[in-house]
Amino acid sequence: MSPAVLNTIEVFLNGLMAGVMYSLVALGFVLIFKSSGIFNYAQGVMALFAALTLVGFQTGQIPFAHLINVVFGTDYHHWGEGMNTVLAIILTMLIMILLAWIVEKLVLRYLVNQEPIILFMATIGLAFFLEGLGDLMWGANIKVLNVGLPSGGSFWWEDVTRTWASEGSDYYGMYIDVLDVWAAGIAVVLVVALTAFSQFTKTGRALRAVADDHQAALTVGISLRTIWVVVWSIAGFVALVAGIMWGAKSGVQFSLSLIALKALPVLILGGFTSIPGAIVGGLIIGVGEKLFEYSVGPMIGGATENWFAYVLALFFLMFRPQGLFGERIIERV
Amino acid sequence: MDQAAASEDILLDLRNISLSFGGVKALIDISFDIRRGEVRAIIGPNGAGKSSMLNVINGFYHPQEGEVWFDGKLRGPMKPHQIARQGIARTFQNIALFRGMSTLDNLMTGRITHMHENMFWQAIWKGRAEKEELAHRERVEHIIDFLEIQSIRKTPVGKLPYGLQKRVELGRALAAESKLLLLDEPMAGMNLEEKEDMCRFVLDVHDQFGTTIALIEHDMGVVMDIADRVVVLDYGRKIGDGYPDEVRSNKDVIDAYLGVAHD
Repeated sequence: MSPAVLNTIEVFLNGLMAGVMYSLVALGFVLIFKSSGIFNYAQGVMALFAALTLVGFQTGQIPFAHLINVVFGTDYHHWGEGMNTVLAIILTMLIMILLAWIVEKLVLRYLVNQEPIILFMATIGLAFFLEGLGDLMWGANIKVLNVGLPSGGSFWWEDVTRTWASEGSDYYGMYIDVLDVWAAGIAVVLVVALTAFSQFTKTGRALRAVADDHQAALTVGISLRTIWVVVWSIAGFVALVAGIMWGAKSGVQFSLSLIALKALPVLILGGFTSIPGAIVGGLIIGVGEKLFEYSVGPMIGGATENWFAYVLALFFLMFRPQGLFGERIIERV
Repeated sequence: MDQAAASEDILLDLRNISLSFGGVKALIDISFDIRRGEVRAIIGPNGAGKSSMLNVINGFYHPQEGEVWFDGKLRGPMKPHQIARQGIARTFQNIALFRGMSTLDNLMTGRITHMHENMFWQAIWKGRAEKEELAHRERVEHIIDFLEIQSIRKTPVGKLPYGLQKRVELGRALAAESKLLLLDEPMAGMNLEEKEDMCRFVLDVHDQFGTTIALIEHDMGVVMDIADRVVVLDYGRKIGDGYPDEVRSNKDVIDAYLGVAHD
């Protein structure tokens, strides 16, 4: 194979990997949208908050240290060496469940049966609140997140692909980050687990029922509040996974919350109500923007990755507004 | 019949129920009871408050005044899902099914009040949760046989014709094995054949499972045929209550509802 073809394949593969990361965020959106019709603007911030909390536990930071020091004139920052990564992840998950419970208790409960736009505004408020809380609790500096996943280029893959190049070319192999491969693997496991949960368990069935019809769900004895706490907890779990992956890749920083915006075009492509849609949408966006940048980018000055996804989404809105996998919009008159 | 035996006999007792929305009075001082094992029909012209009555019974509406006694106990303020867990199942006038789910899954949701295994066991999906799922599955298959809907077990209910959707909704309510079954116009919008089928199912349910049924229906022929007792509402007030024959000859009822000249 010629180096040009191999380069294209490399770009394609890296696009898939990038797409998986988008899908991870989009997944959280879909879960909440499907079951409660709420577009949760705070999903990206939840990923950030989860990552911040995880690093905080891991490195033994004292929450609200800055605030405590200012008020009491002390100088505390850490309470020791930190803790085991697995323990930190479990504790962070408990915090995310607590967060889901608080959100239901303080926000959703009072907005039942309100217009979707009201609920959307509430989640914007939640996003700002969480961002501020994360800052206050753990500080605004960029943190390194290391959960023990391998990272860096794969030499094995480099060696393998080098042999694919035609004789005599100076091709030196493809670059693939091992961390990305791990992220892809974890995303697959996550989706399979979520699908199995929603298809084969009582709670999963209740989740689907609530997503379908609130009133009917109530009459068969499903508590909407319990289900919402469950859904937000699961979304919190997905946010944690996304936070870990993004954090490990590019450090835990507040711009992480902006990746939520990249999930929007993914959702428009895949449909807001479809889990497979979130995955496929993410992959298409990831591959699309990398290939576009690689092929067309040099001609128009590059940096196409900033806008490509949104333009693609715009085209989709014109031709298939419900997304690839969304429920068909049928207006009966 | 002495007092104790009478109350033993009564499943649901509504006492002086009044319900209003702002200035609109939907129900005014209504009292009636439903005995165990009977088919009780609620009839009345459009806007008489029949559906409001059903919504009070299953907890969608909370009456401003009055008491609801269910199964011998005064019911406090409760959420609809809690009331469902106490043993009241219902269907809706405009079908409220889980349209994206299969017939089988819809019926399985009806079993939710009877499922106990916690999320941990479900999550690892083995052992007790599996056994429980299978037991419920058996009950549901029995209902599917009973309602003769085997051929649509795996079909998403959104794709089914109206009459079958009504039947699936009845199935989901049956799956709950409730003490009281509320049917809101189970035969509305059906053709004659579908109506006869539905009538047969309602009577069979009553015979085979001994379920207490309260139903709203417009078709007077149907009501007179299958109801043990009838309560008549008009403009939110109760104007008649009793056996079909009594109600049929009640002058208020004839004036208000049947509106036919009597010979």
